Amino acid sequence: MIAASDAWASTSSRAFDLTIWLYLGAMVLSFAYLAARNERLWIAARVVAIAGAIANLVAIVARGVAAGRVPWGNMFEYSTVLAFLVVAGALILVEGVGKVKTLTGFALMFAVLTLAIAALFFPVPPGPLQPALNSYWIKIHVVAAITGSSLFAIGGIATILFLFKDRSERRTLAGVRERPPVMGGAIDVDAPHDLLPDPEDPGVAAAPRRGILPPAAILDRIAYRTIAFAFPIWTFAVIAGAIWAQDAWGRYWGWDPKETWSFVTWTIFAGYLHARSTAGWKGRRAAWIAIAGFVSLLITYYAVNLWIVGLHSYKLG
Amino acid sequence: MRTALVLLLVLAGGAVIGSLLPQIPNSPQRVGQYLDDHGFWGPLFFRAGFFDVYGSWWFVLITTLLFVSLAACLLPRTRALARAARQRPVQARELDGFRHHARITVGAAPDAVASGTERLLRRRRYRVARDGAGVAGEKGVLREAGSLLFHWAFFLLLVGVIVGKGTGFTGRAVVTEGDTWIDAVPNYQGELRTGRYFDGGHTGIGVRLIDFQDSYRRNGQPIDFVSRVTLLDADGAPVRSAAIRVNHPASFDGLRIFQEGFGWAPVVTAAIEGDRLWSSPIQMVRDDAPEGVPATAMPWRGAIKLTAPEPDVMITLELWPDFRALANLQLTGRPTPMLVEFDPYVRYSVYTGRILDPARSTIAPVGLQLIGRGQIHAAGASSFSVPEVGQLRLTFPELRHYSVLLVSRDVGVPVVLAAAILVLVGLLPALFVSRRKVWVRAERAPGGSTVEIGGFALQRRDAFEEEFERIVRAVETSTGAVVARPPEHVRTP
Repeated sequence: MIAASDAWASTSSRAFDLTIWLYLGAMVLSFAYLAARNERLWIAARVVAIAGAIANLVAIVARGVAAGRVPWGNMFEYSTVLAFLVVAGALILVEGVGKVKTLTGFALMFAVLTLAIAALFFPVPPGPLQPALNSYWIKIHVVAAITGSSLFAIGGIATILFLFKDRSERRTLAGVRERPPVMGGAIDVDAPHDLLPDPEDPGVAAAPRRGILPPAAILDRIAYRTIAFAFPIWTFAVIAGAIWAQDAWGRYWGWDPKETWSFVTWTIFAGYLHARSTAGWKGRRAAWIAIAGFVSLLITYYAVNLWIVGLHSYKLG
Repeated sequence: MRTALVLLLVLAGGAVIGSLLPQIPNSPQRVGQYLDDHGFWGPLFFRAGFFDVYGSWWFVLITTLLFVSLAACLLPRTRALARAARQRPVQARELDGFRHHARITVGAAPDAVASGTERLLRRRRYRVARDGAGVAGEKGVLREAGSLLFHWAFFLLLVGVIVGKGTGFTGRAVVTEGDTWIDAVPNYQGELRTGRYFDGGHTGIGVRLIDFQDSYRRNGQPIDFVSRVTLLDADGAPVRSAAIRVNHPASFDGLRIFQEGFGWAPVVTAAIEGDRLWSSPIQMVRDDAPEGVPATAMPWRGAIKLTAPEPDVMITLELWPDFRALANLQLTGRPTPMLVEFDPYVRYSVYTGRILDPARSTIAPVGLQLIGRGQIHAAGASSFSVPEVGQLRLTFPELRHYSVLLVSRDVGVPVVLAAAILVLVGLLPALFVSRRKVWVRAERAPGGSTVEIGGFALQRRDAFEEEFERIVRAVETSTGAVVARPPEHVRTP
């Protein structure tokens, strides 16, 4: 029995390592595709990304078998599932349903970072759950929390890209009007805005080149839809957490740091959804609220579990 | 709406402060530490209520303002929705001005077109009004209704919280195996947190702890903590037995009883010159573990205070529930977790003098003189000669567990749960239902009618584009289009 569980554990850890490499490869290929716009690169990137997602799933399932329980009982496992859901969400929702190929590379980057942080800072061998976590609510509450988080993360990525693209669109529009002809040649005003480079733009170094990203309006729509999708799931996760807390700790709400920060995250995204339908708050202002929500989400997960003392300090499960 | 939103974000900001600074209700000792460490900011924060954010006047004030502002938003919206629900959809005049527009020619007469369209839109669950050959339809009131339900549900939530917390209480019961704890004010250990409107009526029910079991894996990770109890009514008659474990509280007579902690309570008897002066279990507390040492490796401490002899005698006790851990520590210097009871062992020190604080919970021998030390194994006895007092005889007949149970009453829980469900029920249509309006008007034309169709959606416009085309096609097929002129669509961005 122990030998079998060890074998599953080592399968899981090998699949985990493979996942990181495949995601990394898929990320590089995705960015290469964005730079070169070569369809073959895109196909290669997708094959590798899907292989990575499969390896990720194997890592999750094998870990569950090894530990004999649901594979999301500590931060390491939660991160593994989160990475999977972000990549799967980017592939299925953004690429499949939304028909936007650009985001996946960045989603893969997020997944690689999530997995790398998990592997570096809180690796834990598979083991049983502590009694407080041993409840069927772990299936309901934690699944909702990871799903909501992964969608918020995709929304956050789309929002960051939106802000870059929106700025570059504005600058390009301004540049076409204001900049004098360069080197004796005239600027081809009919050329797509994306092709006009702006070496002075500091965003160029940090962000991918102009023309790589889809129009800001599309990124904005992806951000809004994923966040609107995530919001009820997150609401449900918080409610399910409160129901569980009522049984486990004797109260449904106690302003534990995790409760507080999930409430803060909820509040900020509620603000985002309202801002979207308020005149004068659309676009960049709403986007910054979404960024604040994304940061709050990261704090809810990392900072609260690692540094703030509370009942949710489940670093080790 | 903007005011409510700003207030909500301010509330979130306040909550952040509460999560970053230690809070008096949760960890008063850390608040004291913070005040000691931060001479300037500490008192300032203290005065601002930052160490009890969620109970501070400004947090309550913001919450109140938030709900007032919310009500001010919701009342007119609710009235408007009620009015809109009673009103029939209004006919439109210029159909070609709408975002989606089509003009088709069909073989049926205008009246037939209108009644066919009416049926068709009803089947698509539009609210429909007909005026001659004109049909107006709208759909998606559920969006606003859901949004209002979502927001109003927070008022229900507030009521549940205020009533539940206001009339309820939370306290800790510490009960040793074999003992019975009764729900009455003096029997709670530590702070008994009562709501503002708590009527003070404790039930008088009893909880008899039959036994407490803790189980661990070999690596020291806990598996389960279970208190097996018998629940007694106010007259002391047993009603039923229950197993209280983490995640599985017991409910009894309006109270909920939760497993929170446990400890050891050795029964030690103390006799001086043959007079038995003490023979009760002593609820011990465990030493704090230093960095890197598992908590389960630490010994437990308690004290016996005898004030009958002259001078007073105090015996401090150090319990090692697993003797092997102590032996291992002394041989190798390595701390060993004590997960099972094995040859329990008590080391004691005897002091004499004047006991200033007779409370059982203080175990520091303040101002007393150490006479000597000794030890007892379980079921053993140990004698000690105390100068001026006489022969002290200690026995250690048995080792018991005690269990820490959280007892609470909160009648608001079902209300809060219902409110939470309504929040979710309202949220889904509020986010995902879109409001759509469609108008159809037929006019007599040679060989049938010309039908104009116009419409728009306030949300999910690209999805409505397809729906609009389906409606146009349905109107065509249901009324027998004779002319194959493709519907022309006028869209304004």
